[in-house]
Amino acid sequence: MAYNFAKNFGIKNAPTWCPGCGNFAIQIAMKNALTSEGFNPNNTVFVFDVGCSGNGADKIEAHTVHGLHGRAISLAAGAAIANPKMKVVASSGDGATFSEGPGHLIHAIRNNYPMFFMLHNNENYGLTTGQASALTPKGAKMNATPDGVYLEPINSLQFVLSLNPSFVARTFSGDIAHMTAVFKEAVKHDGFAFVEILQTCPTYNKATPEAWYKERIKKIEDLKDYDSSDIWAARKLAEDMEKDIYLGIFYKDSSRENFLKMIPNRKNTKTVLVEEVKKHSVSSFL
Amino acid sequence: MDRVRIKIAGQSGSGLLSVGEIISSAINYLGYNIVTDREYPSLIKGGHSCFTINVSDKPIFSLSEGADVLVAIDKISMNAYLETLSKGGVLIHGGEDFAKDGINIARMNTKEVALASGGTAIMQNMVLTGMVWKVLGFDFEKIEKEVKTRFKKVTKEILDANIECVKRGYEGVETAQGIWNFEAKKTDNVLIDGSRAVALGAVACGVRAYYGYPMSPSSGILTYLAEINGKTDMIVKQAEDEITASQMALGSMYMGTRALVATSGGGYDLMTETVSLAGIMENPLVILIGQRPGPGTGLPTWTAQGDLDLAIHSSHGEFPRVVIGLSDIEDSFELVGEAFNFTEKYQTPVILLSEKTILESKISVDRKFFDREIKIERGLTEGKNHEEPKRGDRYKLTDSGISPRWIPGDGNEYYFANGDEHFENGDDTEKAEEIHLIYEKRMKKMVAIKENLPAPEIFGVEKNADISFVGWGSSKNAMRDVIETYAEKGVKVNYLHYSFVWPLQENAVKDFFKNNKNVNLIEGNYLGQFGNIVESQTGVKFKNRLLKFDGRAFFIEDIIKFIDKNGI
Repeated sequence: MAYNFAKNFGIKNAPTWCPGCGNFAIQIAMKNALTSEGFNPNNTVFVFDVGCSGNGADKIEAHTVHGLHGRAISLAAGAAIANPKMKVVASSGDGATFSEGPGHLIHAIRNNYPMFFMLHNNENYGLTTGQASALTPKGAKMNATPDGVYLEPINSLQFVLSLNPSFVARTFSGDIAHMTAVFKEAVKHDGFAFVEILQTCPTYNKATPEAWYKERIKKIEDLKDYDSSDIWAARKLAEDMEKDIYLGIFYKDSSRENFLKMIPNRKNTKTVLVEEVKKHSVSSFL
Repeated sequence: MDRVRIKIAGQSGSGLLSVGEIISSAINYLGYNIVTDREYPSLIKGGHSCFTINVSDKPIFSLSEGADVLVAIDKISMNAYLETLSKGGVLIHGGEDFAKDGINIARMNTKEVALASGGTAIMQNMVLTGMVWKVLGFDFEKIEKEVKTRFKKVTKEILDANIECVKRGYEGVETAQGIWNFEAKKTDNVLIDGSRAVALGAVACGVRAYYGYPMSPSSGILTYLAEINGKTDMIVKQAEDEITASQMALGSMYMGTRALVATSGGGYDLMTETVSLAGIMENPLVILIGQRPGPGTGLPTWTAQGDLDLAIHSSHGEFPRVVIGLSDIEDSFELVGEAFNFTEKYQTPVILLSEKTILESKISVDRKFFDREIKIERGLTEGKNHEEPKRGDRYKLTDSGISPRWIPGDGNEYYFANGDEHFENGDDTEKAEEIHLIYEKRMKKMVAIKENLPAPEIFGVEKNADISFVGWGSSKNAMRDVIETYAEKGVKVNYLHYSFVWPLQENAVKDFFKNNKNVNLIEGNYLGQFGNIVESQTGVKFKNRLLKFDGRAFFIEDIIKFIDKNGI
């Protein structure tokens, strides 16, 4: 597919990521997916967290917000609620999502807000020079844990799948084609689309470098008879974080209504909130 | 000024609230002006609660601490409030026989009467309702109508039992003499509390989303907006925590709708990082703090003016903001709209301060007040296909510091709303010169804001008062009643009220000091937070400070005692 940088979300400022950082490929795949699904900088809103993923905020031409650490999901949810005609994409790292603000993730899944959420999982806090996150493998020697991480990591997909989500996928920053395909599905999903990106961090993540992933990665599409509407199959498949690490659409339930469609008083409303700001008489409430 | 003061005391959950609400609503319909407030502990059952109603033929704004009629549902509550009953007052109760010099007693065995009327023990509150109504000397039909309206959803059997209880209570006692000595005027007042006024103010000015997390005393706004969302079509979202509520509001405001958030001090603490983000993003954000005494959990169901410093100084970094102190129903309704106009025009956060006593006190207000024209000013660069502005103009350096802002998706220009330091086009910068310029641009908005703030208002004489006060928030209400009380005696009391407390308009208070010789501070906190700001920014010095920090709002007696000691 021909890619037009100038029109399709562009790239204006010089990237500030380390050579070999997964963020380069992630942004390319994200731009590809959105463009091929018919989105452009005027109908897309990106909400960025703080951290290395957040430093993508001024590397993309579109409506962008660079918010607070751990809160991108909530700001994005507020944006998506106000104007669902725009595609809202939020990005956060593993530190933001599983330490600073896991409450937002839990409730965004439960509310099924109409947005696409990308978990940039590089298994560490890169921008603060490589501290362990809750997803760093046990034993990894990190900044501030020189003797090695002594806690078991959280299994992100197991956690998300336990919350009755409507869309859960995983992809890998070393495979642009796979990322693009997964992002396209996530963009199309009418609800909270959770996509974990296993992201290489050549500077700080020495425990699971690109080669480590490549040895272990398997694709769900190669599994015969895998049923992505079976949440128990998804939960089973997500268990293994060491040997066979699967990529693809783990779980999808398109029958679920998104947050806006669930609100009883807005069932028949045709307008969106940004179109409704005007004076209202209150005499009928007195 | 003539007023009749009624207190209804009992254990929480004993039905005293219903007595208070029925009586106050029925008196409102008779055409009197009333102010009510509730004192209650932070629990669901037990502990004493007290519902106070003050009634007058003229407009009144605050409460007296005393009572002319005390209704006691149980003995413990009676003992807790008996000393507030004035000489010649009436004690209405349903307990053991009891006598005290200087007071009149109306007593029935209310529990027995309730059971004999086909009701349950809890319905003794309805017997007391009937007793109160008769003691006050009103027609039975009026209270019967009120009870019928209130219980329209119950079965006929239960309704009949309730009415029978009221009736027997009404018939069992005599009307007290000498308590009621004024007539109702023809009014069309609605009885409304500050929570509803804020909620209706939000509806009126085009707020389309409300994000909250339950916390006294802000929960009334959440509850009421949810109750009426069938009619308003607003999205009322109880978020998972306060951080989320503020972030969702910020996101919704960024997209171009109006979203309100309300909380109390502790919840606001959690929102402060978001407020700071709004400051640098130059994004509109309105948060209401319903004040209660802190620190910590403090006193969840009581009142205070202790979070002014919090509202003004909260959040890291420097950025302009507007802080508005609400005082009464009118303010609560109108200034919500003003808050949204300021936050959108100046692209910076606005904090509304209310108080438990304002949010939960029901006051009679002329129905016509709510018909007033609401002005919506959004300061947006509007229209499709903007030639101007361009993406690069979002944080453009201007004389006023205000840059173009437009709704994402409206037209063909997108922009970067950046929480990191940035220059005119929103892109990150760490260049000294650019940082200096953009920082200055943001802070400059403070000047434009200050020039456009509505002026503080003087109540009472303009100048040469015998004693003067300066304050903000609910203090205004007690001051208005006190000014009237002293005017009747020929004593000139005046009061300078700040609704827009930050940025401080120095000239108004400087002039007030020039024109009056005995100027004092009135404030509901320990430090005299507003007084300290006034003194440090203007060089004036308050003669004395009337400060209250016991969880109660100012009663008119608090001010009268202060005046008698420090004034005339």
